[in-house]
Amino acid sequence: MTTRKKLLIYKVLLFLFAFFIAFMPSTALRNKEVNSRVIVGILGLDGGEKVSLTAQYVMPTEAQGSTGKDTVTVEGDTLDEAAEALNTALGRRVELGHCSMVIVGKDAKPELLGSLMTATDVTADVWMAAADGKAEDLIADLTEFMSKTGATDADFIAYSARKAHIATNTLLGFLSDLGSASKTAYMPLVEMQSGKASESGDSGSGGGSGGGEGGDSGSSGGESGSGGEGEQKTGMKVEKLALYDESGRVGVLDSTSARGVAWVSAPVEKGTVCSDVEFNGKTIKGVCGRLLKKHSSVKVDQKMGIATIKIKAFIEPHGDKFNSLFATNSSKANEALIAGYKKKIQGEVESAFSNSLASNSDPLFIGREFYRHCPDYYKSQYDYNNIKIKYEIEISLK
Amino acid sequence: METTQQQTNNSALGSETTKNAGTTNTRETKQASGKQLVAIIFILAMATKMFLLPIFLIQSTGRDGYIILAVYGAFDLVTLIPMIITIKKCDVDFFELLSSVLGKVGAKIVVAIIGLFLFFKLNTAVAEILNFYGTNVLADFDTSLMIIVLLVFLAAAGTHTLRSLSRLNEIIMPIIVVCLAVLVAIVVLTGFDLGNILPAVADKKSFIYALIKHPAWVGDFTPLVLFIGRTKTKKFTWCFAAGSGVIGTGIAVFFAIALSAAFGNVPMLIDSTTNLSNILQFSVGNVYGRLDMFSSVVWSVSVFIEAALFFYATCRCVSFVIGKNAHLIISLCTCVATYVVQVFALTDPMIFSLAVTSDACAVITPVMAAGIPVLALVCALIYNKKQKNNTLAAGRKSA
Repeated sequence: MTTRKKLLIYKVLLFLFAFFIAFMPSTALRNKEVNSRVIVGILGLDGGEKVSLTAQYVMPTEAQGSTGKDTVTVEGDTLDEAAEALNTALGRRVELGHCSMVIVGKDAKPELLGSLMTATDVTADVWMAAADGKAEDLIADLTEFMSKTGATDADFIAYSARKAHIATNTLLGFLSDLGSASKTAYMPLVEMQSGKASESGDSGSGGGSGGGEGGDSGSSGGESGSGGEGEQKTGMKVEKLALYDESGRVGVLDSTSARGVAWVSAPVEKGTVCSDVEFNGKTIKGVCGRLLKKHSSVKVDQKMGIATIKIKAFIEPHGDKFNSLFATNSSKANEALIAGYKKKIQGEVESAFSNSLASNSDPLFIGREFYRHCPDYYKSQYDYNNIKIKYEIEISLK
Repeated sequence: METTQQQTNNSALGSETTKNAGTTNTRETKQASGKQLVAIIFILAMATKMFLLPIFLIQSTGRDGYIILAVYGAFDLVTLIPMIITIKKCDVDFFELLSSVLGKVGAKIVVAIIGLFLFFKLNTAVAEILNFYGTNVLADFDTSLMIIVLLVFLAAAGTHTLRSLSRLNEIIMPIIVVCLAVLVAIVVLTGFDLGNILPAVADKKSFIYALIKHPAWVGDFTPLVLFIGRTKTKKFTWCFAAGSGVIGTGIAVFFAIALSAAFGNVPMLIDSTTNLSNILQFSVGNVYGRLDMFSSVVWSVSVFIEAALFFYATCRCVSFVIGKNAHLIISLCTCVATYVVQVFALTDPMIFSLAVTSDACAVITPVMAAGIPVLALVCALIYNKKQKNNTLAAGRKSA
């Protein structure tokens, strides 16, 4: 047999093999298999006497393109049992591998998250979010809101991670932070904003509905539960940060402190920075700029017991207030702007440090840095409450 | 002309000549090119070291796992030096070399021991493949059935030539390199907290324990004995061969660093079932879709190549020991033995982990990993000296 003939036979055999693989039973029946599963987009975890799992799920149906988004809550003595109960509750195999966000209720213990990662198909890079109360209630509100706006599972948290100045975290990141020498982890606290429902009742297209209290300080609106009569969910608020240690949630940082944590501990590089600027003896309020890039680090000195927080921020000022400042005297205006931004950033970081100190947590991971660079000092002398903090903040205007 | 030279002795019983038993299944002496040797070394340097080893090491010693992997990599690179020198210096194949230096009986005993070692390494690689695919990619597939597909591939490799295996690797290699580059780029671009690998060796006890317990993964370059006397080399082949070994080891260490940084604080959360996603957890927010998943699966093909090489080398050792060139039958018997070991002895990952971390493994594997290349080098030097003396004697005789 010539080489050419042999090659031809190999090619034919390869084609037949590929054909077989493509049409083998499991491949051919994949469509049915999808219909026999439930895809979970958001998973809620509540603690207490029993472990409670709430799943926001999408159930593919036979009809093309028709999927329903709904929620279900199950309980179990352990997380494994609760996860198993999800399958039976929905009568289909629950697919947790596509879950994009885990919402943690106030009472849930962090050890449950370790089990969630190792005992279920939930992936390590799933986003984490905290609920002010029960995760079950927040997921119900989210589902209602999403059905109106068409927002997908974790759009809002993914946006926060990339474009806003919010410290977000993934499941593995959270557990890794908690296992570090700082023994502290954080996740953003998600609240729902409520507004009055329109007269027509069925809110229709929903987009933007504008009913909220506007501005950035919109409150979560009294009864955040199931939404009373005439009240509907108008948006989400992701400003605060929930702090955890090994025992559970130990505190919540307000929006200023949460921004401070984002400057030091989170890899976010976008967002808006607004500061009051002192110029020519006057105070110009709210001169804003876009954060373009950021470098931050914590340097430690074991001899002096000092941690130096270094931040370099690249900011592009914009807006009418900046334009009028710039028109007067550009170099002096720049200096004033830099001083203003420095003060603002330092204030936020200081606020983060002092507020977290109150709950004996370390979201700036100063203890971790001491452990990394001076492990002997950390073991023998380190005391978080007695550490001195220095700030070196550098602003570069673009 | 070349095709007639390459006539393979693939028939099951037809060509049972003792003369060429154990040779690399063809009458052609130079079967592999220098490029192919370089590609094989690259695959051997990183394939199995990137599978379960980092996970075992992180479980044992936490964030220092990458240091131990780097030590093993360095050990293997040192053993690569005598191997490369032997390939460069020697013109006869490994079995002929041993026969002429140790005598036929001595050579057969040595080759039998080497064959057993290669069979052990083969089973380590196969167990890793089954673990990886059986628990990650094809979770619902029965391992005892899945292994049959793998064994068909191995049997095919065993009945072909070193040239075929080298060519197969040469073809697949660019795809593997591209996929590795994609994975490296994803890890670098999305970033990871490199500082998490500090402090180094904080817990000396667990570090030493892990270092002593996991040498089952050294000795990845031992199948290169088949390339002795069978590789067409050029002037700088040796530099490229050493370079590819260093790069392959470097890639394995890089991924181990990424894993150690990710799981250094939580070593108990890492297990063999999350191997795939552990590497991928840096794809924050699924920015890259499932490109990372695809790349991971494709680079894992390199372990198939490594397993095929161990299988091929085991078969050649058996062939030499029994003195028959019945490659098909030997391949099938090796397949059966592998199936028995994998399905009846190593089914449980726990048993596998206990076996590879046993004291016997910890002693024998590094001894064999270092002993085989050194033995080859010593034999090559003695053989060359003998040849020189013979030529001189022949010259004097004719004069």
